[in-house]
Amino acid sequence: MSMMRLPAALAVAALLAVGAAACGGDSDDDGATATQAAAGATTGGEGGGAGGPVSIVASVPPTDHGWLGAISKNAQAAADEFDDVDFRLLEAADADSQAQQIEQVISDRPDALVVLPQDGAALTPVAQRAEAAGIPVVNVDRLFTAPDAATATILGDNYQIGVLAADYIARRLDCRGNVVEIQGLAGISVTEERTRGFVDELRKACPDGGIDIVARQPGDFNPDTGLRVMETILQAQDRIDAVYTHDDDMAQGVVQAIRNAGRDDEMFLTGVGGSQDAMEQIKEGGLYEATFLYNPNMAASAVNMARLIALGEGFPELVPPEVPRQIIVPAATVTSENVEQYEQYAFN
Amino acid sequence: MTTSPASGPGTAAAPPSGGGRARRLSGVRLQEYALVLVVIALFVAGSILKPDSFPTWDNVRNMLTQASVVGVLAIGMTFVIATAGIDLSVGSMVAAAGMFGGVLVDPEGSTLLFVFGALAFATALGSINAIAVAYGRVVPFIATLAMFSIARGIALLLNDKLPVGLLELNGGSFGDPAPFSLMWFGTGRILGIPVSVYVFLGVVVAGWLVLNRTRYGRYVVAVGGNREAARIAGVPVRRTILSVYVLSGLLAGVAAVLLCARLGSASPVSGNLYELDAIGAVVIGGTSLAGGRATIVGTFLGVLTFALIFSLMTQLDLSTEVQQVVKGAIVLGAVLIQRPEARL
Amino acid sequence: MAPVLEVRGLVKEYPGVKALKGVDFAVERGEVHCLLGPNGAGKSTLIKCVSGAVAPTAGEILLDGDPLPVGDPSASLRRGVATIYQELDLVDELTVAQSVFLAHEPRRGPFLDLERMRRDAAALLARLGHEAIDPRTKVRELRPAAQQVVSIARALSHDVRLLIMDEPSAILDDGEIETLFGVVRRLTADGVSVVYISHRLDEIRRIGDRVTVLTDGRTAATDLPAATPTDELVELMVGRAVEQLYPERPHASGEVVLDVRGVRRLPSVRAVSLQVRAGEVVGLGGLVGSGRTELLRLIYGLDAPQAGEVRVGGRRLPPGRPDRAIAAGLGLAPEDRKSQGLLLDWSLTKNVSLADLGRFERGLLSVRAERAAAREQLQRLRTVPADAERAVRELSGGNQQKVVLARWLLRSCRVLLLDEPTRGVDVATKAELYRVIGDLAAAGVAVLVVSSELGELVGICSRILVMREGETVFEVDGERASERELLRHAVAPTETADLIEEVT
Ligand SMILES: Nc1ncnc2c1ncn2[C@@H]1O[C@H](COP(=O)(O)OP(=O)(O)OP(=O)(O)O)[C@@H](O)[C@H]1O
Ligand SMILES: [Mg+2]
Repeated sequence: MSMMRLPAALAVAALLAVGAAACGGDSDDDGATATQAAAGATTGGEGGGAGGPVSIVASVPPTDHGWLGAISKNAQAAADEFDDVDFRLLEAADADSQAQQIEQVISDRPDALVVLPQDGAALTPVAQRAEAAGIPVVNVDRLFTAPDAATATILGDNYQIGVLAADYIARRLDCRGNVVEIQGLAGISVTEERTRGFVDELRKACPDGGIDIVARQPGDFNPDTGLRVMETILQAQDRIDAVYTHDDDMAQGVVQAIRNAGRDDEMFLTGVGGSQDAMEQIKEGGLYEATFLYNPNMAASAVNMARLIALGEGFPELVPPEVPRQIIVPAATVTSENVEQYEQYAFN
Repeated sequence: MTTSPASGPGTAAAPPSGGGRARRLSGVRLQEYALVLVVIALFVAGSILKPDSFPTWDNVRNMLTQASVVGVLAIGMTFVIATAGIDLSVGSMVAAAGMFGGVLVDPEGSTLLFVFGALAFATALGSINAIAVAYGRVVPFIATLAMFSIARGIALLLNDKLPVGLLELNGGSFGDPAPFSLMWFGTGRILGIPVSVYVFLGVVVAGWLVLNRTRYGRYVVAVGGNREAARIAGVPVRRTILSVYVLSGLLAGVAAVLLCARLGSASPVSGNLYELDAIGAVVIGGTSLAGGRATIVGTFLGVLTFALIFSLMTQLDLSTEVQQVVKGAIVLGAVLIQRPEARL
Repeated sequence: MAPVLEVRGLVKEYPGVKALKGVDFAVERGEVHCLLGPNGAGKSTLIKCVSGAVAPTAGEILLDGDPLPVGDPSASLRRGVATIYQELDLVDELTVAQSVFLAHEPRRGPFLDLERMRRDAAALLARLGHEAIDPRTKVRELRPAAQQVVSIARALSHDVRLLIMDEPSAILDDGEIETLFGVVRRLTADGVSVVYISHRLDEIRRIGDRVTVLTDGRTAATDLPAATPTDELVELMVGRAVEQLYPERPHASGEVVLDVRGVRRLPSVRAVSLQVRAGEVVGLGGLVGSGRTELLRLIYGLDAPQAGEVRVGGRRLPPGRPDRAIAAGLGLAPEDRKSQGLLLDWSLTKNVSLADLGRFERGLLSVRAERAAAREQLQRLRTVPADAERAVRELSGGNQQKVVLARWLLRSCRVLLLDEPTRGVDVATKAELYRVIGDLAAAGVAVLVVSSELGELVGICSRILVMREGETVFEVDGERASERELLRHAVAPTETADLIEEVT
């Protein structure tokens, strides 16, 4: 029965992925491989073929952050949907302990692994070992650095997040004004991509310039760091029109700094992620105007993919039915106009 | 300064000649003066590089407000380090205390309840450190490293990893919050000076008095300087060690109130790595990590140094990588000009 | 022929202090040259300049007529200058053998020759009459006198031409000193020169050839014969004659204040009972390692006894609680001032006031009152420098000892336990200290003094007990005691003066 009831979301996600890859192809090299069939799809499922339960282990960083919290919740929820999935969720405090954890898991020989690595590069070798041991790995969100480290990959498009934010701000400011960017954690690909997409698109959207990025500082995805950084930037800049922040949770600190300074009428702000708080503030109107999200539901898709791979099956909509090698979940812009549509995806 | 009449016992070897004043400029005192120079230099540099926005009353006020959170922690840390201990858990305790207070007043409660809850909870966590170190004889590094993890875990558990909004507590609002609302502690002002700055300066002054002008303060430093000698001189060694970790916890609670009051919410991920800033401020201030030598004035200047560095570099919008190099260089430079005798 | 060591116009300035203001002296081949001077005169500073531990500010140091590079300890060592410092400078965690050969370990190829290290260390220790010290024990486990022996062995492990010893006898007992002198005589017979610093003037005649007196950083007299009368030497050092070394002997009058009943803590102390009356000065003599220090620790509550009890004024003290002992009126000046007495980075004032801060508390501490009170006690003991805000670390050894004593003078105690109170203290101050002890007793304080200088016990005590192997074996009235008799009881009947090591 599970065969027949392939969740609609997954099918949609897969199709969207093809689309996203197609239009994002010029900016994201990896997009071109989106429709490549999963290499390990037919070799991985020793345990599952007989119809017995499929064992899937998911390994994620500590889920103390809103978006990551939603990831683990969604993964668990997706696994609960299936009777034939024996699911285990492991959290690791840092990259080292995550590697050790996976090492441990390899010896348990699960049918599939879902990994959201703390640090893609650091965890690539252990993922390769899992693959070499015949355990298919589904890589979520943060990329491994070698192609043979994962059977399938599902990730958000951080570059596109930046692009959407630039589009929104450029249009809203009519290509004229001072913008502050509060980044996430410096030095990780998520942050770099969100900044790169933003800068590239701003250049495209306003070919004659007009928008100055007057400050760009990391806020470490923490509300209290966001607060401190924004307080200081407010001292230095006497005219700010828009603030592009990399994360909704962190943005709460930035919002607070602006309000404490009594300058909330002077500017507007955007976030990333789609937290409930952010959506509520968008609905209310005012300082918080928009957020850009790629859905933490991708974790559910990852579990579904892992299950199909373990069972040696594929997406029936694809011809032949197989599991795509890479799925890129599209990003979307949420504003007061369409916030109702997205509220169901909000996480807290 | 003393009015030391150089009248020795007359018959014995005469007291060595030499500048009485210059002599006292040694050790801790000299370090304090050197750090003043660093603070002034940073301020001057800021004023030159950002003449419009840096040397303004508004900016000074902002820097002091920002410094207040880590500043309060650093005063507690000075006491802990004076006993040759360390408290790695203060950042996590800030988060846990804020979350505890937050959960207590959610959905309804008063500022008083929040403040009391945060202080009590942080003090309780600090007491666990204290008991582990003083009675369990666990090395401070390990005991507080465990608390670092436990307190962070508790902060996340308390509200299922979610922050708690505190904006409305007792009529708090932006701009000019009602006196004794929670936001008033963060952004309210008396005579133009933020309440949190009063709290910070109050803790500094109280810390100075306790450390330098009470028997207890003397005991704290004695325990760090030579535990066996202190014991033989009648210092209640265990009780003294116990007390500094409790104090550090209590001050983490104060810091939590100051932080939440500015943030308008309690966040389980706040306070990350505050312990490093606090320890850094204490050590560049001239307090010895080996214990036995402690200076509140130095810690205060250390906190100001870090606040100035942060403000200056953020205002200049230096990129992170450059910031890290510059910050490290300033810290190293500040330590080097302070102790020529400590260099090998 | 040039002298082995010649020092000319040596000056050493520390920030704010001129420790040496121009010192000249010369050491000939094969002689034992004694260096005398009051506490803080600059003796240790002088020899540290020679050993390279510190660099002089000005002046010349010639070794066999050649200038010695300054501030370079390894250069001094290479040229045959070995030094035993006043303060023990061993690394606690190393073994005896490792300590002896630290920084010049014998090697076989690229590897340490551990076997040879052990053998050679054992041979050196045997030469010093201490076969019982196992080269494999850790320094930490040895008592101070044994550590001193290890320091000496380390000095001798070099190819030494000039051996410098800074108060080596301070922590040795009479028997051990005799062994040390035997070694020194053998060395000088081989042509080695020795610089010997001590505050025990009787030793000069026993071992010295010539004497140099330093006062206040200057050479007051040099090339004096060892036979110079003690009075004359004292006058050179102090600038006046010390007429009376010992004050009038106090006589017990009051009731029993300190009552020790059968305390035991093996292996050091077995069932010791003693009583000290108000106004009495009781001496506790014996060899190093006979359990005297441990007994004081038990009385003071630093260690808990396995049996027995301590009463003060009739009330039993809870075991293992020094704070309660202090509250009951006890004070202890410990033997090892550096590790147990002082906070080296603190000022003199703070060190003195530590045990009695309560009396300066008027809400907050009154720093002014604290300074005044500390200064009074320090001056009473002629502590140099007079500036009580200096760090104790910068003080000479004898002056550091005075700071510990001043602490307990400040806190008026009912019972004062003094462990080797005059160790490293100069003659004039000793006389002063004896007077202070006498005054305290006259004021009704019960004093218990541990000393390895049996002469001083005979000089000042109302009553003397001798301990041997953890037990009191002899008791005598101070009036009737003699040094010789005390020593005879201190040494076990079957043993001679070369003494067994006791590893604690
Ligand atoms: N590190 C230092 N810094 C400052 N002053 C110092 C330092 N070391 C020694 N002094 C000072 O130099 C003077 C001479 O000290 P030194 O230790 O040489 O005396 P000493 O003759 O060995 O005395 P003692 O008999 O007490 O051992 C003293 O006044 C002392 O305070
Ligand atoms: Mg000396």
